[in-house]
Amino acid sequence: MRDTTTRPLVEVRNLKMYFPIHSGLMRKHTGDVKAVDDISFDIYEGETLGLVGESGCGKSTVGRALLRLYEPTAGQITIAGDDVASLSPEALRRKRPTMQMVFQDPQASLNPRMTVADIIGEPLDEHSGLSSADKLARIYELMDAVGLNRAFANRYPHAFSGGQRQRIGIARALALNPKFIVCDEPIAALDVSIQAQVVNLLEDLQDRLGLTYLFISHDLSMVRHIADRVAVMYLGQIAEISPVDALYARPLHPYAEALLSAVPEPDPSREGARQRIILKGDVPSPANPPKGCNFCTRCPKVMPVCREVEPRLQEAAPDRLVACHLIHPIDAARAGQTGQAGAQEHSQQQGV
Amino acid sequence: MPDGAMPVLEVRGLKTVFHTRGGSVHAVNDVSFHLMPGELLGVVGESGSGKSVTMMSLIGLLPSPPADVQSGQVLLGGQDLLKATPEALRKVRGARIGFVFQDPMTSLNPVFTVGSQIMAPLRKHMGLSKAQAEVRAVELLELVGIPDARRRLKSYPHQFSGGMRQRVMIAIALACDPEVLIADEPTTALDVTIQAQILELVKELRQKLGMAIVWITHDLGVVAEIADRVMVMYGGQVVEQAPVKELFRNPRHPYTRALLKTIPKLGGQRGERLQVIEGQPPILGSAPAACPFRARCAHAFARCEAENPVRRPVDGRPVGQGHDVACHWSPEGAEDPSQEAAHA
Ligand SMILES: Nc1ncnc2c1ncn2[C@@H]1O[C@H](COP(=O)(O)OP(=O)(O)OP(=O)(O)O)[C@@H](O)[C@H]1O
Ligand SMILES: Nc1ncnc2c1ncn2[C@@H]1O[C@H](COP(=O)(O)OP(=O)(O)O)[C@@H](O)[C@H]1O
Ligand code: SF4
Ligand code: SF4
Ligand SMILES: [Mg+2]
Ligand SMILES: [Mg+2]
Repeated sequence: MRDTTTRPLVEVRNLKMYFPIHSGLMRKHTGDVKAVDDISFDIYEGETLGLVGESGCGKSTVGRALLRLYEPTAGQITIAGDDVASLSPEALRRKRPTMQMVFQDPQASLNPRMTVADIIGEPLDEHSGLSSADKLARIYELMDAVGLNRAFANRYPHAFSGGQRQRIGIARALALNPKFIVCDEPIAALDVSIQAQVVNLLEDLQDRLGLTYLFISHDLSMVRHIADRVAVMYLGQIAEISPVDALYARPLHPYAEALLSAVPEPDPSREGARQRIILKGDVPSPANPPKGCNFCTRCPKVMPVCREVEPRLQEAAPDRLVACHLIHPIDAARAGQTGQAGAQEHSQQQGV
Repeated sequence: MPDGAMPVLEVRGLKTVFHTRGGSVHAVNDVSFHLMPGELLGVVGESGSGKSVTMMSLIGLLPSPPADVQSGQVLLGGQDLLKATPEALRKVRGARIGFVFQDPMTSLNPVFTVGSQIMAPLRKHMGLSKAQAEVRAVELLELVGIPDARRRLKSYPHQFSGGMRQRVMIAIALACDPEVLIADEPTTALDVTIQAQILELVKELRQKLGMAIVWITHDLGVVAEIADRVMVMYGGQVVEQAPVKELFRNPRHPYTRALLKTIPKLGGQRGERLQVIEGQPPILGSAPAACPFRARCAHAFARCEAENPVRRPVDGRPVGQGHDVACHWSPEGAEDPSQEAAHA
């Protein structure tokens, strides 16, 4: 859990990731999929930032751009002091060990022809000069850390269950002592009964190793459990970033509100008591986002100004950033709409 | 059956085995359930617990080999579907039982327009003319909330979003006014906002059409929202069955109890650490002689190894009619407290 003295490990400023669209016989560049369109946020050392939003809103693209698995179109990504977006290939290679990724589909991300020991040890071959004895010792240590039996070191991935394969992926991500890990839907492919095992493991490792996570997920209940703060994305942009309890108690952005209200709760006695906001229609194409606020085509609270002017992400209450014309920084705090957050006067300076 | 009403669908002792080169898989073991008119039965369980195979066995959708529906009865209005000819079964599937599957992209044919795919069953099973079928197709698309329906008949599936394709699948399933709709994880691949649209649609359609529905899901939130009754499956068996509120208020099977504890909540107190169910689901290599949950059960004792529990009533009402559970243990310790072993 973050306290106010910690500093950002990751600082993202005005990040854009466009994928060009080529069409016609000449494959002319006719437009761009604006998968990530000018977003800024911080991730504090030792915290878990949850990243949520509908399919296609750009979550994975953010995660991949942060680790420079994509070449960002524009913006800065500072991780532990280095601007990852502009590092030379050699400097990037030296930086790689500190930042890692855990993927959604543990099946697809593991080479079926490599043993578990080979898979976990591969990053060690590339980035460390360990002797083979030291390497094996390190592999065993990693297997212990993620709760895999050492006796399985020479087995192949197909012999493992989904949850065990995800442990292999996590052990591999940990091999080089990273500080920052992007977890992209790490439990989405797992059964409910197995999800809790993997989430507990990620939390234990964070406590023990002081890891910082970007936790991408569409499971809003699980994000509430694991995250310290949550960023809600819509169509390539951030709608709201807030501390987890404040967001779930009272989402400020209309999209965040609708998203949370759509989650069915496993409690039939509460059904009917809840106010559900059913959004009409679908998310517009990121190749052709609407003018003004990008949520204006589906927003239940849309006003004329929303179709003209793009709202800026700004501090609506201490520690809470919201991009919506309805939320005025000072009014929101005065009217006490943000509950206790508005009562506190100290403000956590938080970039952007 | 309660109050003399007759179920629209009744399944008794269904058993399905797959014979594969790697050995046999006992996917469905002695599954029984019924469905009352207008009722929505939720079926939950983790992947591999036999939910899909059960429903596909009912309507003859499994290729044989490898599938072998070994025994049981599937009564639809008195007719046993397991004894029906392939021709008769096809009729039932088109006209009396509609179904919707998880992935709408693989279920719609990409090379035909949406309109022609809705109109096909109408012409085949209801004998409508092309013009009549088109009128009905527009009605159906409007019913499932697709705007500008007449024009959209000419669209191809890839021109629709995931949520719209799932609406089309529901429209096709409803085309011939079926008595029963079987929906197999119809919202699992969708975003929560789109899932909320579909759930709302289903509630509305139930009121309008009064059809009986089987809704398969692994999401207990979805079940809590739309089901009247719930059947919990584990290892190819029904382990618990109850009205929805009763199941959430008073879960009796150790698997159901653990499952309800392991999922984090959207409201209320935020827990420090998630409760886990240790271990893995069973491999169904042979006909079960013991409780399928025993390796992961916190309450297992000697009898669980020796004898596969059969469903027994919890609330005095006969099995299937009220709340029942397949477990040797009981939370009050009435069954065999002396032998209850503390597990992991
Ligand atoms: N390599 C690529 N080339 C072109 N477009 C892409 C590429 N990768 C992603 N996109 C597009 O960018 C947008 C954002 O995609 P992204 O994968 O980041 O979404 P996401 O939020 O992770 O979605 P999901 O929840 O489905 O994983 C989408 O419109 C997607 O189609
Ligand atoms: N075509 C098949 N061949 C062999 N085994 C199968 C086949 N289809 C399903 N199974 C097995 O049957 C069991 C039940 O599967 P299924 O009904 O699909 O589970 P669920 O729908 O509950 O996730 C699983 O063990 C699965 O591996
Ligand atoms: S700016 Fe306008 S359209 Fe956008 S979220 Fe706020 S109220 Fe809705
Ligand atoms: S029968 Fe035994 S092993 Fe099975 S669920 Fe009940 S107590 Fe657990
Ligand atoms: Mg993604
Ligand atoms: Mg299934």
